[in-house]
Parts: sequence; structure tokens; C-alpha cells
Amino acid sequence: MTDLPIVGFVGLSTALLAVGLFGILTRRNFILILIAIEIAMNATILNFVYFGAFSGGAGGLSGQAIAVVLIGFAATEVAVGLAIVLALNRLKGTINVAQATDLKL
Amino acid sequence: MSIEELAFLALAVVALVTAVAALLVRELVHTILWIGVFFVDLSAIYFLLEAPFLGVLQLGVYAGAVTVLLLFGIMVTRKRIFSREAATGIGAVPFALAAVTFIFAVAAVGELPQTSQPVRAYDPTLLSENLFGTNGPWLLLLGLIMMAAVAGSIYLVREGRE
Repeated sequence: MTDLPIVGFVGLSTALLAVGLFGILTRRNFILILIAIEIAMNATILNFVYFGAFSGGAGGLSGQAIAVVLIGFAATEVAVGLAIVLALNRLKGTINVAQATDLKL
Repeated sequence: MSIEELAFLALAVVALVTAVAALLVRELVHTILWIGVFFVDLSAIYFLLEAPFLGVLQLGVYAGAVTVLLLFGIMVTRKRIFSREAATGIGAVPFALAAVTFIFAVAAVGELPQTSQPVRAYDPTLLSENLFGTNGPWLLLLGLIMMAAVAGSIYLVREGRE
């Protein structure tokens, strides 16, 4: 049976969440923001998987089941995000979010 | 230190480096390459956690579909595929947020038990029973949401909409 330190996984997913947060807050390109969201989302999915793997019983299995559902959600989110990218590109000629200010008062 | 712990350490370092590199490189196509390596690395971590089904799903959905989808996104929105992004500085607020997150992470990690714990392997048959039995309604809901998302995406990108 494999033995692994849980502290490493917690550290990794927190660091990945921080990297994703940093990307969401600092990048201006819509595709880069999507990628940053994906990194943060992957940190969340990793959380479900390792807490599932370290806990026994049906609860652990639910962790993996939720991870499967979350991977589906993340793929859906990318598809919708790219549709927004295309619409933004058609409307503005750029995918820089700093120029998408139509809803500003 | 066991071989599994060494493998996890190496995979964790690669995951962090590729995630940071993906957000910091100037060319968007290189970003996609880095994020592809990141997704493959995470699937290796899932295999290490004895979750082979999730590892394969990660390879298929993320490393395969999402990466290609993002590449298409770049392809159709730029005149030149290999064009550089303008450099953006790190503002004070994002930097402070990242620093606070990091401090909280270090504090939280210090509280956790430092010993290694056994990883429990689950039979994929049990996982599918859980997924389609107990969590069946949620899976159906996921299907509905995905269908709505596809319809919404088509509505967003359809011709003649201004």
C-alpha cells in the first residue's frame, strides 16, 4: 500500500490555488484568465481526490465521484468561456478584458 | 523517504513550475504547451493516488480536449499565432492577496500531521456504482447543464448576432 504525506498535497493544492488567483487578478488576456481559472479548478479537484484517497469508506469514494463531475463542469466552463472569447473578439477585435467595458456605467 | 514520496515531490514541483510558467510566458502558444504539461502531470498525481479512472479522465478531458479547445481559441482570435502579449506588471492588490494566501497556507500546513498516511485504492467498479447509483441524479444534472452550456455557446457564437 502506498504511503504519502497529506501535508504535501494540502500545500500543493493551496499553492496551485494561489497561482490561479494570481493569474485571474493580473492577466488581461481572456484566454490566460480562463487558463488561470482552470489551474484553480484543478487545485479544487485535487483536494477532493486526495481527501477521498486518505479517508476510508464510502466518503472516500464520493470524493472521486465529485471529482468526475467537477472535471465535466470544468470542461463545460472552458467551452462557454471560449464562446465568450469569440463573441468578444468579433465585437471588439481584441480579447483584452480591459477593453470590454460595455456594462460600465 | 520512500520512492512514492520522491515521485510525489517531483510531480508537485513540476506542477507548480508549469502552472507559474504557463501564466508568465509571453507567447500564448507556449502557455498552452505549459498547461498541457501541467494537466499530464496532474493525471500522474491521480495515478499516484490510486485513482486510475480519474487519471485517464484528466488525460482525455483536460490534456486532450481542453488543451486543443484553447489552441483553437488562440487560432481563431489572432492574425499571427506566435505573437507576444504585452507585459503586465503585478499590481499591489494581487501581490498582497497572493502573499496573504501564502502565509495562510504555510500556517495551515504547519498544523497538519507531518507523517505519511496510507492511500486507499478504490475499485473502478465501486466508483461507477457510486457515480451512477448514489450520485446518479447529480450526473444527470451535469448532463443537463452541459447541454445548456453547449446551446448557450452556439447562441453566443452564431453568425449575424451583433
